Amino acid sequence: MSEDRLRAHAAEPRASAIRFEGVRKQFGDAVAVERLHLEIASGEFFSLLGPSGCGKTTTLRMVAGFDQPSEGRIFLEGEPVERVPPYKRNVNTVFQSYALFEHLDVERNVAFGLKRRKVADDETRVRVREALELVELTGREKARPGELSGGQKQRVALARALVNRPAVLLLDEPLGALDLKLRKQMQVELKGIQREVGITFLYVTHDQEEALAMSDRIAVMEGGRIKQCGSPEEIYEQPSGPFVAGFIGVSNLLAGVVQNGAVKLASGDSCVADMPSDCPPGSEVHLSVRPEKIWIDELEEGMVEVKGTIVERVYVGTTTQVIVELAPGMRVTALEQNTARVHSHDRWRIGDRVRLGWHRQHARVLR
Amino acid sequence: MDEQRFAIGLLLPGALWLLLLFAVPLGILLAISFGYTDDLGTAIYGTRLDNFEQAFDPVFLPVLLRSVGFALATVVLCVLIGYPVAYYIAVFGGRFKNVLIALVVLPFFVNYLVRTYAWIAMLGDEGLVNGVLDRNVQFLNTPWAVIGGLVYGYLAFMILPIYAALDRMDPALREAGKDLYGGPWQTFRYVTWPHTLPGVLAGTVLVFLPAVGDFVAAQLLGGPDEYMVGNLIQQQFFAAENWPFGAALTTVMMAFLLIWMVLYLRAAAREAREAAA
Amino acid sequence: MSTTETRPGTPGPAADAEAGARPAPPPRDFDRPRFLKVFTGVFFLVLFAPIALVVLFSFNSSRSLQNFEGFSLRWYERFFENEALRDSLIASIEIALLTMVVATALGTLLAYGLVRARVRFSGALNVLLLVPLVTPEIVAGVSALLLFTQVGLELSLTTIVLAHITFSISYVTVVVRARLASLNPEVENAAMDLGATRLQTFRLITLPALWPAIVAAGLLVFALSFDDFVMSFFTTGESPQPLPVRIWSAIRFGVTPTINAIGTFMLTVSVITIGLAIALPRLLGRRESGLGVLLGRENA
Repeated sequence: MSEDRLRAHAAEPRASAIRFEGVRKQFGDAVAVERLHLEIASGEFFSLLGPSGCGKTTTLRMVAGFDQPSEGRIFLEGEPVERVPPYKRNVNTVFQSYALFEHLDVERNVAFGLKRRKVADDETRVRVREALELVELTGREKARPGELSGGQKQRVALARALVNRPAVLLLDEPLGALDLKLRKQMQVELKGIQREVGITFLYVTHDQEEALAMSDRIAVMEGGRIKQCGSPEEIYEQPSGPFVAGFIGVSNLLAGVVQNGAVKLASGDSCVADMPSDCPPGSEVHLSVRPEKIWIDELEEGMVEVKGTIVERVYVGTTTQVIVELAPGMRVTALEQNTARVHSHDRWRIGDRVRLGWHRQHARVLR
Repeated sequence: MDEQRFAIGLLLPGALWLLLLFAVPLGILLAISFGYTDDLGTAIYGTRLDNFEQAFDPVFLPVLLRSVGFALATVVLCVLIGYPVAYYIAVFGGRFKNVLIALVVLPFFVNYLVRTYAWIAMLGDEGLVNGVLDRNVQFLNTPWAVIGGLVYGYLAFMILPIYAALDRMDPALREAGKDLYGGPWQTFRYVTWPHTLPGVLAGTVLVFLPAVGDFVAAQLLGGPDEYMVGNLIQQQFFAAENWPFGAALTTVMMAFLLIWMVLYLRAAAREAREAAA
Repeated sequence: MSTTETRPGTPGPAADAEAGARPAPPPRDFDRPRFLKVFTGVFFLVLFAPIALVVLFSFNSSRSLQNFEGFSLRWYERFFENEALRDSLIASIEIALLTMVVATALGTLLAYGLVRARVRFSGALNVLLLVPLVTPEIVAGVSALLLFTQVGLELSLTTIVLAHITFSISYVTVVVRARLASLNPEVENAAMDLGATRLQTFRLITLPALWPAIVAAGLLVFALSFDDFVMSFFTTGESPQPLPVRIWSAIRFGVTPTINAIGTFMLTVSVITIGLAIALPRLLGRRESGLGVLLGRENA
């Protein structure tokens, strides 16, 4: 890079690690990614979240260089990468299937990238050791991938990628094959490693809890497009549309019509809510309320109220789900925490008529 | 695409080799079938059908028919002998399954000529059997000697696919058959046999194709009355020096076999489609 | 099998029935495969008898095929002392080695290219690949002979090698391709992701992963070439001729015990080769045996 470029680069407060400009990817007739515009800042833990087939993995592969965009451009650290093959890009990938080299031991797996770059032997040894320490696999240098457990293989894959100190680390559903407990543990570890190493992480997952737990920012994708991009809190508390609201966490979506500054539901209840600008009276909307924001019977001052009958009570350990029917076909799920003071099964029985309420700002009107 | 170019680059040498040294010669074979020989015996390309006519005339047609007949007999015998053996090993072999099937295959690593020669050693006039019986029974130079030699030569190609099919079959199906049909023969007829039919068909193709063109068995174990098309062809190229005719015979044989191959592949594809549905 | 044994102290069958136990089903024919057992036994006998005969009588001190008169190595001496036969043996080995090396290389590359390239003509290539496997040897032999004479190439060991390689490539490709299909394609991506060019990836990652299949295929090709008769018969020159062709001439002239010795020797070579093909991959540190690799997962 020229000196001016270098200076400009250094002067930028948060450099762009990855930038997508109008990126589109087509396989034959099928469009996998549609008009992607996105900028990921350096040092971010950024997740692409969405159901199978939403285009998140394709996007990742384009950053890695395994697929070329049909249209648009991708920039890595400000530089376009169309002509750059995967082995020349300053990114490394952690694959869902780990993709370890079975005929090489752990040490040689991890050292592979360094060897390609002709890093000196002694430096290689030091860096490999550091990388293994980072992932807590010291002492397993001579083991073969075949002898390792899933979690251990995952760590080797991670070390093998990180040891090269790439500008960006790409992770393709790396925890998918692990059992729940290990997955939760690895999520915490990964987040810690990312913070420690400071590398930009581009993380692909379909597990919204995972994305919420680890990410600085999340892009929710569906059908090849980004539906919403923002921090975990933004995405969760302020979903921009029914898809995001339904995909992230659990949400009640109540269909209704805008009337007099409120949403009138089929049950007859009129729920006052904050109206977005594009919802004139008469528009058909969904009112989105999270179950944990709904109170039962003992309501606070100023809450929006609806009435209904309890039709189901589901005990799930930490919480109890109470399902209330406002009108035939219209059900609301409320979540009560089973604290020491409150035992839901003592308080409500199926068939009871109750009042449900939430604070106005906890509901969102979505089109 | 980078990967494409790399992959194509890699496959080119092998593909070219096959094209130039296998496909092209087949073309030459076909072309020369339409040719003729001059007085010196040199083969010349032409557009005559004489060779094909000759192939089917009363002198040579029996040879063609005999080849098919012998090959068919070989196939039938291979099934009759091979199926029970495959069944025993697959179903009752237990721990020794692998050893037994290896033992079946082992003799086939002896050179085909030597194996056929071994039968001469056993059944010849000076052979072991005649020695033991202290007689002079004419075993060789008979059609059954040739067929026997063919069976012995190709049996493994029948046993292995049948064994594979039986081995892959879920024993629970046979159990269900036993309950449903009561008798061993019915179970076999309605459950096992249909299930292993693809294996039998595969074996049939693997035996029939080489058997039709075989000339070693007929030459060593039989006489001129037992000659097959393979012997004829060999004669044209080495004794009679009539290459165009030899080529025509080969073409006819190849065409005949191709028809069966295509039919088999169609049937196999249909099987696969039905199984997937 | 239903024999009711009564252990001292346990109630008899009547009591069992009362206790609600089901009566044992009558034994069926499949559970006692007497016929099949005998049949298979006879089968193995007939299968091995000729071979046993050849092996046994190769050590016979006399010419007779009917009486074993004593142990002797004279026929082996005859074999190895015979200059023409020795030359033939060496020729066969040379041919097999050359074929093995070239066919394995070409076949492996072809397998890789076929699996990785997505071109419109891969269907046709597939056919081109499989036809040699189903073509009767006589057809292949005749057409090879025609090719060489039309091109003006004199028949010699070279022509034999060329012909052998041609029919061997397909075997290698089939075996290697099956193995390749079972490899995780992401592993190659991982190598490139870490900085390896396509060529480096192929050399450092793909080839080692394919190694058991390549070795097994190579040894298979060696055995096939060493034993081959028909192709060699049509493409051989005057001298030296490969061993099987010599055997053919010898047999045409009549039965001589030296053939027993040659046959036994060839059997040993083949068995050792195939044994290596099965054992070597395991010895080289891989976990699968060559047999599994050779049979591949194609039919799975």
